[in-house]
Parts: sequence; structure tokens; C-alpha cells
Amino acid sequence: MNPYIPILVIGAFGFGFGVFSIVAAALTGPKRYNRAKAAAYECGIEPSPQAQGGGRFPVKYFLTAMLFIIFDIEIVFLYPWAVSFDQLGLFGLVEMVLFIGTVFVAYAYVWRRGGLEWD
Amino acid sequence: MNSANYLYLSAMLFTIGAVGVVIRRNAIVVFMCIELMLNAANLAFVTFARINGTLDGQIIAFFTMVVAACEVVVGLAIIVTIFRSRRSTSVDDASLLKR
Amino acid sequence: MSDTPVLQYSFLAPILIVLGGAVIGVLLEAFAAAKRRAVLQLTLTLGTLFIAFLSLLRIRNLTSAKAAMGSVMIDGPTILMQGTILLIAFFAVMIIGDVDNFTAQASAVPGSDEEKSALQAGRQQTEIFPLTLFAVAGMLLFPAANDLVTLFVALEVLSLPLYLMAGLSRHRRLFSQEAALKYFLLGAYASAFFLFGAAFLYGFSYSVTLSGIHAAVIGGTANNIFLLIGLTFISLGLLFKVGAVPFHAWTPDVYQGAPTPITGFMAAATKVAAFGAMLRIYYVTFAEANWNWRPILTVIAIATMLVGSIVAITQRDIKRMLAYSSIAHAGFLFTGVIALNKAGLAATLFYLLAYGFATIGAFGVITLVRDSSGEITDLNRWAGLGRRSPKIAALFSFFLFAFAGIPLTSGFIGKFAIFTAAYESGNIGVVVVGVLSSAIAAFFYIRVIVMMYFADDNGDSLTVVIPSPLTSIAIWVSGGVTLVLGVYPTPVLNAINTLATFIR
Repeated sequence: MNPYIPILVIGAFGFGFGVFSIVAAALTGPKRYNRAKAAAYECGIEPSPQAQGGGRFPVKYFLTAMLFIIFDIEIVFLYPWAVSFDQLGLFGLVEMVLFIGTVFVAYAYVWRRGGLEWD
Repeated sequence: MNSANYLYLSAMLFTIGAVGVVIRRNAIVVFMCIELMLNAANLAFVTFARINGTLDGQIIAFFTMVVAACEVVVGLAIIVTIFRSRRSTSVDDASLLKR
Repeated sequence: MSDTPVLQYSFLAPILIVLGGAVIGVLLEAFAAAKRRAVLQLTLTLGTLFIAFLSLLRIRNLTSAKAAMGSVMIDGPTILMQGTILLIAFFAVMIIGDVDNFTAQASAVPGSDEEKSALQAGRQQTEIFPLTLFAVAGMLLFPAANDLVTLFVALEVLSLPLYLMAGLSRHRRLFSQEAALKYFLLGAYASAFFLFGAAFLYGFSYSVTLSGIHAAVIGGTANNIFLLIGLTFISLGLLFKVGAVPFHAWTPDVYQGAPTPITGFMAAATKVAAFGAMLRIYYVTFAEANWNWRPILTVIAIATMLVGSIVAITQRDIKRMLAYSSIAHAGFLFTGVIALNKAGLAATLFYLLAYGFATIGAFGVITLVRDSSGEITDLNRWAGLGRRSPKIAALFSFFLFAFAGIPLTSGFIGKFAIFTAAYESGNIGVVVVGVLSSAIAAFFYIRVIVMMYFADDNGDSLTVVIPSPLTSIAIWVSGGVTLVLGVYPTPVLNAINTLATFIR
């Protein structure tokens, strides 16, 4: 038997289940109108045609985004280290601890200087 | 697929970025064009690594990504500061580095 | 496992010490009491640079050693350039230590109440010190870098702090911020070119190390189009960093807008690092392909010397004038690069040292000439300065003589050595243009001196402030070095000659 046939069968089952659920919900579920249901999805914030402050984002969003990027991108160096962890051994571990240590220094700086406070 | 096509793509992206820097007037857009150039270089690195079957180019791509992120942060910091100086009323007072 | 990387920490010690000092500086910013921060930071920064210099002395006799798996080359030129950078940085930091030049709070809007209250309460930001150390670390690494990644990372590590430092002036802040933006956008543009060039050099040789690329250049079997693209783009990036014509447009604006101590540091130390890397790239990697780059660089050298010297004549602002003068000096340094012989290398290294100290001193003096609203950089208002404060004016004149290359100053020896090297390499045209533009340049340096001594005192409110002890040490030592290198340069020239050989 072609090994792809089971995969196709699973795909067909998944597709069928999805179609069945949607159709069943549409046929059997109650339909009550609610304005919130039609609104765009925003967690907890009233959507308005234009954002506060004339449509510009406050600077603090930028700051948070910048901090996120700078800490997030460090992961890139963890990935190759994780792949070759066995070969690098203790040396790699020590270097990584040093690396993470420097990242923590930056974190401590941001924290002490109030970069993590929203208001 | 022919790997040379990726090099053409990379050259095109780089050119779009380089021309964009020269003709656009918005600092943020200029800045995005520079990022495009960096990523074009990244694509070239990865393509050459692929053609040659070595990993050096891909490792360089990692470094470039990190450097580009640092550049984003420094650049945005400068741009935001300038923006606040010029139009001090329209942006509310964020207070990094207050002490 | 047998293939664990070996870093050879002792060879990397100067760089690592400076980086470590910078990290401790960041911690100080976070945890030290605000009142004592400035003193602590200054002590830490000077101490770090001093220890780094000591650790450099320990490895001074290495003439060929690779560290960090071949990524960093420690040879004679590396040692010399790292030493020059550390010395220049040490005295530059002494001038930077006068924190009155820097904004109390960079994030406050200029002229806002927030800024005023920060000033009154004496809450002075001192991030400038760790930023300086990070920049110095990048500068130390840049001329030592022996592969494409290290080159690029070092270039960014030295540039990113400088972009920020350019925007931190206390007076004329909008101007300073604009300088930072310009410097940043054009600098990032140039490093993108550099990186794209590096990608094609990798594609050309399938090697990231400079020696590997050199092997491919000699081998001659690889794709020469890739070599040309790579060489062109990487050169564009480097030419921008040193401010060569036609990539010089940022220099006057940034030099004028940045805080004066930073301008001095930037002009002196960045030049050493960038020319260091450039020398290594051209001498080590592309010497055998010089028909590709030498003619173009010759044209650029000539254009840079002429444009720098001629445009400087029309400047009415002392910082802008020195910016154009630094462009002209970049041109003189290029004559050493294109000489492509040992004499050229040694002469360039000497010139960098001489020019660096004269620059630090000259910008140090400019920080002292102030009125109530900050520094006075308008040349007309310098009239009569020579009568009001003869010592400072004499010192400034001496630095200008050094820039002009008048005998008994380091500038004369530097120019003499560099033009001799260019002459030996058979490049007579460059030498003629070089001497010619030196003569043009002498005109506007002398004009400033005439202005200070012979023009009528216009009763201006300008004063020469009493320099802080560190600043006066820095400017007088710079003056002393400029004099000693001009009167008795033999020991330094000999030391440079013994060490100035690149290793592949």
C-alpha cells in the first residue's frame, strides 16, 4: 500500500470534521444578535475609528517594542549552541553563561532606570 | 532551482533599499530601506553558503540579524527623540531614563 | 572533544578588558548613587583604559599570533593601532570627563521643564562613559579583525555608540540630535554596503577569513565579477567611515553638531580604527589585485585632499573648518594606503598617531571658549583671543601648525614620511597634489591664527573658561606629544618601523 494513503485518510478525516462542526453549529445553535459579536477583536479595549492622540502611538509602545526586540534576538545565539551542545561541552556552557550574564546586565539597567514601568 | 536566481533577488532587494534611502524623505522609511539592504546581504550570504555547502554564510546571517536588531533600537531611539523635540505636544511623555 | 574552540584570552585581553569595563559601567549606571556616579564612571573609564594599555604592553612583542580561532590577528600593526587608540581614548576621556558639555537628560525635550529641572537638580546622565568604552572596544577590534564577520561586528560596535554620543550635546540640542540622525542614517547605509560587499567576497572565495580571500585572489580561478562587486562595496563602506570624498557630506554636519569632546574623540580614534582596517584589507587581502582598486583610490585620494583643503577656506565656523581639515587629512592618509609598501604602512601609522593627538588637543581647546550660552565656534568671535588668553591661544596655534604640517610639529614629520612613501612607490602625481593642498590648507589655518592675534578685539562676551584639571592635562599632554613627535620622532619612528609588517 502506498504510505501516503494513511496521511490522505487523516487529512480527509480532519477536513470532514471541520466541515461537520461548522455545519452542525450553524444548523443547531441558537442565533441571538449582540453588538459585541460583530465588533473587531480587541482584548478589552473599546475599538474606536481613530486611536487616541490623533492616530499616533504613544512613545512607550516604541520603547517596549525596542526592549522586546533587543532581548528577543539574543535567542538566535542560543539556537546554534543548543544544536552543538555536545561538541562544545563545558567551554560552550561557560561562554553561554557569560553571554547571558551580559544580557542580564542590560536587563538590570533597563529595570533600574524605569524602562519597564508603563506609566 | 537555480541558486543564481536568489542572487538576482538579493541584488534587486539591495537596489530597492539603496534607491529608497536616497529618494524617501521619512526617516522611518529610510531606515526600513536600510534594513532591506541588510537583509538582501543576508540572502546573498545564505545563498552562497547553500551553493558551497558550508555553514559559514548562515552563521554570518545570524550575526547580521542581531546587529540589525541593535541598529533598529539605536536608530528608533534617535528618531523618536528627534520626533519628540520637533512636535513635543503630539507624543505623550514616556519616561525611560528618568533618574 | 578535541575541536573545542580556543580563544587565547591573553591576546584578546585589551579588548575584553575594555568591554568588561563598559559592562561594569552599565551596572554602575543602574545601581550607583546618582550623586557619585560621574566621579565613579570617570575613574572606572580611565582605569579600564589604563589597564587595557598595560595588558597590551604585555603582548607587545607578539608579531604574529592569531586569537579566537583566527578571527583576530595580533601582529605588529594591530599592536601599534590598538596602542594608539587606547592612548587617544585615554586623553579624550579626560576631556569628556567635563560633563558640562553633555545634556543632563537625553530623553527630555529640549527647552522643556523636565530638562530644566534635571539641570537644576544636578541629575546628570553619565551614560557617555560606558558608551565611549563600547566604542573603544569596537575600535580595538576593527583593525585586528581577520575575517568578514568580525570586521562587520566590530564596525557596528564602534559605530552604534558614536551615533548616540553625537546627539548628547547640552547646548544647541536640536542641532546635536539632527547630527545624530544624519550620522546614523548615513552610517547605517554605509555599513549595509559594507555587508553586501562582504557577502560577495564570501561568494568569491567561499572563505570568510582574509587569508582565505587572499588565497582566492592569488589563485585567480574564482569568479572575478564577485571579487569586483565585493571589493567595490566593501570599499564604499570604509570610505564612508573615514569621510573620503565623495562620501564626506556627513562629516561637517556631524562634527559641528556633536558635543565638542565627542567630535575630538570621533575624529581622532575612528580614523585610526577605520584606516587600520582599511590598511589590513588592502595590504593583506587585495595587494595582488591592486590594479582593481589602486587607480580609483588614487583619484579619491586626490579629490579628498583638494576638496577638504579648498572648501575649508570658506568656512566661518571653527568646528566645520576642522571637519573639512579632517577630510583633507583623510586624503593625506590615503596616499599612505595607496603607496602599498612598508614605508607607506609605517608612515600612515605615524600620521594617525600624530593627527590623533593634535585633534584631541585642538577640540579640547575649543571646549574652553564659551559664553553664557555655550561654546563659541563662530570664527569671527574668536578675534582677539590671543590677547585675552595668550597661553590657550598659543597652544591652539601650535595644533593648527601641526595640522598644517609646519616643521617642529608632529604634522610635518607625518606628512614628510607619508609623501616620501608615496614618492617611493612611484606615485608622483599624488605627491604633487598633496604638497599643493597642504599649501592651500596652511592658508586657512594661518587665517585663524591671524584672527586670534591681529584682529581687533570686538569686545565680545566670550571667555576662556578655566579648564578642569583633567582637561588641562589632556590638552597640554597633547601639545607635548605633538611637539616631541615633531622634534625628536626617531624612537617612535623606529618602533613603528620594526613592528609595521602585516601577517597573513
